[in-house]
Amino acid sequence: MTLTDSPVAESEAAADAVGAAAPASPAETIGAPRGLAQPFMTNDAAQVGRLFVISSLLLGLGTAAIGVLLSLGRTDAVAPDDLFGGLNAYFRMWTLYRVSFLLLVVMPLLLGLAMAVMPAQVGAGNAAFPRAALASFWSWKIGAVIVVASVLAGGGWGALDGVTGNESDAMALTLLGTGIMIVGLLLGAIVVATTVISLRRTGMSLLDVPPFSWSVLVTAVVWLLSLPVAIANIVVIYADLRGRPAIAFGRPESPDIWLQLDWLVEQPAVYAMAVPVLGIIFTAAGAAVGARSSRPEAMLIVVGLFGLLAMGGWSQDYFTAPQDLRDGLVYVAFGLAAVVPVVATAGGVGELAMRGSKTLDRLLDTRMLGAGAALKLLGAAALVGALRVIEPLDLLETSATWAVFHGVVVAGLVAAVAALATWPQLLFGPIQPRLARGAIVLLFGGGGLLVLADLASGFIADDPDLMALALDGSAALNVVALIGSLLVAAGLSVALFGVASALKPSAADTPEAAGSEPA
Amino acid sequence: MRTTELPAAEATRPRTVVVGALMATGAVFMAFAALVSVYVQQRQQTLALGEEWFPSGTVELGPAGMMMMTLALSMVTVQWAVQAARAEDRPHGFIALGVTLMFGAAVINQFWFVYQDTAFAIDGGRAELLFYAVTGSFIAMLVGAMAMLAVTTIRSLLGPFGRDLAHAVQASAMFWHMCVLCYFLVWYVVFVTK
Repeated sequence: MTLTDSPVAESEAAADAVGAAAPASPAETIGAPRGLAQPFMTNDAAQVGRLFVISSLLLGLGTAAIGVLLSLGRTDAVAPDDLFGGLNAYFRMWTLYRVSFLLLVVMPLLLGLAMAVMPAQVGAGNAAFPRAALASFWSWKIGAVIVVASVLAGGGWGALDGVTGNESDAMALTLLGTGIMIVGLLLGAIVVATTVISLRRTGMSLLDVPPFSWSVLVTAVVWLLSLPVAIANIVVIYADLRGRPAIAFGRPESPDIWLQLDWLVEQPAVYAMAVPVLGIIFTAAGAAVGARSSRPEAMLIVVGLFGLLAMGGWSQDYFTAPQDLRDGLVYVAFGLAAVVPVVATAGGVGELAMRGSKTLDRLLDTRMLGAGAALKLLGAAALVGALRVIEPLDLLETSATWAVFHGVVVAGLVAAVAALATWPQLLFGPIQPRLARGAIVLLFGGGGLLVLADLASGFIADDPDLMALALDGSAALNVVALIGSLLVAAGLSVALFGVASALKPSAADTPEAAGSEPA
Repeated sequence: MRTTELPAAEATRPRTVVVGALMATGAVFMAFAALVSVYVQQRQQTLALGEEWFPSGTVELGPAGMMMMTLALSMVTVQWAVQAARAEDRPHGFIALGVTLMFGAAVINQFWFVYQDTAFAIDGGRAELLFYAVTGSFIAMLVGAMAMLAVTTIRSLLGPFGRDLAHAVQASAMFWHMCVLCYFLVWYVVFVTK
């Protein structure tokens, strides 16, 4: 036994995971609303965080189902037009899938984890502005309902084949819902950032905050500086769309609306989703092997650098000629540099594994498995992103764009499952390890196949095809993408089942019976 | 006197309202800066093609300059309110907040005049559309800032002055200063360069 795997080091790693002994939150000490009133009246940000997590996982299941249908449409089995009932409907679902994974699933999922876990980590009894946290959840929820309903009613973010009837009005509603969702997420980001800055316990400097709390602070700042740019886009589009006839920015019969907002789901902005993933990876790996990094300040720098490289509001090619922007030094440098923090994170996890307990049980722990899987997916995404900006490879306007997207999104989902296993007492109780492992393996497999299919298609494609209606070159790639989508949907289902099982009183009351791992 | 009989030190309460307002102010500024960026970029593209942006003589600098002066004065009065709140000086605080609100209302009134004067149609072209998008967003921000100040004014009338109220006034003032900064952008980009 070395000094580094002493009980002291292990307890420090556990402190990183669980945080300082936080006072009971007000909702637990003062008569908190119970039953049906709880989601509407709660004054406990941790409760709001759990609402975010459950809602986004449920929406994730629906989004994954759309992904399966889109992948099915790529194969020869069914034509996209037949499957969705027309080119416009296909475009609506194609855009909804991307916006949904971003704004309805991964961002709220990670925000929810932050609200539930971070206050305890920094020693705050509750998050700052708990009512604002609740307003954040309901704004996001109402926005999500408006978006989904309006897209199903013929709205969406533009069209490929003209518009009929009230589709233009439905598009205006979609924009409104998108704006409301973003405002909700921004409100949540303000709550999170203010809590870390103002409410951390006395004596804890910003350099002392646990990795996850630091990563959510960086994420919140990145969101607060990036997402408002999308609000500005929406204001211009909405004003044009409502001022008939639309003249430049809100033409409903063209894909222009989507082209003004697609920077949100492309690199570098898409990496903003992945910043908390780094915090989860550091914490989950440390808790699994019972060790702490010897250079915690390096971890802060790595996460901060990744946050800096995830600032993406400037990379809008609708207003700048795409070639001017994407061949520009800054865009290329951001794409290449994003690999650095991910590689550094891998180094940090390697160091933790070296310093900590090296027993097989520890290394195969659910948390370590999740951290490793999320890191690999994020690494794959960053690597593809770096390849994408190398001009001679000609990958910019190809499906390689979606390889980056899928890598980041699924890394976020895997990290969320690892977080459920790392902080059971702050979330839903102990999740059954076999379910958590199953979800991680399925998600990792699915994400990996999607990244592979999208990247390979990008290399094979003769002509740039951002929508990748059919993955070029090989029918086999389309089948690979379909299998990947099915695995992601299955992984999300298993994760939800795991959460549902953990919520059962019997499972929560008897962690031993559930075979849960120690925190 | 034993140490146990000494009064307890006042708990240092973190300035959460100010920090939260700083975050919100930064986010709103980013949204407005992005809007102005789109405006500038579109104007540049149009001029590069040798086309006219606004028809000559439609956008006057006079009212815009008057609004700039009004808002510059409001920066002084809102800071006066902050100082009064810190000093727990209720009469001065109330007067300062009231005068600031009046300046805000005056700017909205002047914008109404500008809209009547220019008589742009929102679907008249890119310039007209972006003119309304930028100035309309500014007015929405100003109304938000006035609402924040109105709430703090009402609180200063009804409740006791104290640290919480001072922080609330400080947060409102911060947002107000950001609004004035945004108007400076509007003044230069929309009205001066036309």
